[in-house]
Amino acid sequence: MEKKEIKSKLTDIFRTEFNDETLVIVEEMTAKDVSNWDSLSHALMIADVESVFSIKFKLKELNKIKNVGVLIDLIESKLAE
Amino acid sequence: MDDYYVRPAKIKDIDFLVETIIEAEKSGSEILSYTSIFGLSEIEARKYINKMLNEEVDGCDLSVSSFLIAEKEGQLAAALSMWVEGLDGELPSSELKGNLLIHCLPIEAFEYAKKVSHHFSDLHIECEPGTLCIGGGYVAPAHRGKGLLKTLNEKHIINAMKLNPPPHEVFAQIFSNNLPSIKTYEKLGFEQIAVYSSKYANIKEFFPSDKKILLRKQI
Repeated sequence: MEKKEIKSKLTDIFRTEFNDETLVIVEEMTAKDVSNWDSLSHALMIADVESVFSIKFKLKELNKIKNVGVLIDLIESKLAE
Repeated sequence: MDDYYVRPAKIKDIDFLVETIIEAEKSGSEILSYTSIFGLSEIEARKYINKMLNEEVDGCDLSVSSFLIAEKEGQLAAALSMWVEGLDGELPSSELKGNLLIHCLPIEAFEYAKKVSHHFSDLHIECEPGTLCIGGGYVAPAHRGKGLLKTLNEKHIINAMKLNPPPHEVFAQIFSNNLPSIKTYEKLGFEQIAVYSSKYANIKEFFPSDKKILLRKQI
């Protein structure tokens, strides 16, 4: 799957879980850039990512996701496994 | 402090830490958010909190390393968690906790939570990076009235002041129904700086109160 498609699907997930239909994701984006990003919405976002992309993250991998760009790269590498 | 000994928590203390987290979440009420939000029983919630603590992630309220314990003659008497937010470039504590939740809870729990999660953001207070954040505290009934939370608070702050750079503020988040806890922290020099209110009519089905008080102490 190309990064463009990953980003598109991720945008849909973010808009749903963070309850903002206007949200545009950028690679440098972190939790402090998004309203409603708390522990529960974060967990739900990750659950959606795993479901939509049919992947499973290890805890160590999750704790290295510093921004959206790292998440996109990780999704890409998991899809290539 | 009457022969009480303060030390960092260890994995062997997990049952007491689970009790601490449960009682802190209940905040003097019968409402436990782990059960109400995720559709779990309290027994299941205890099992999953145990599992999350066993991951030994640092930097949030589900970290063994964030707890100090007071014990007397081998009996665990009190525990309190505090951490410096974002220490050494770590993720925000809310993300660390979210990662533990998704890693340890069954996926069905999130199907349940999805239906209600949008109502809770009004009560979310993000911790400021570089500040000392209080998680949960608990004193076993037999050991109350001995100033143990004050002692644990002070020891946490002493430890944090050894960091480079040290934090300059400590924050506590307490539900408004928990008046004894609010009074305890005010006696420790904390002041109320903000009140966060939920507009959701049914919020008290999920949390002990519809308001959360943010308290701060300069150190």
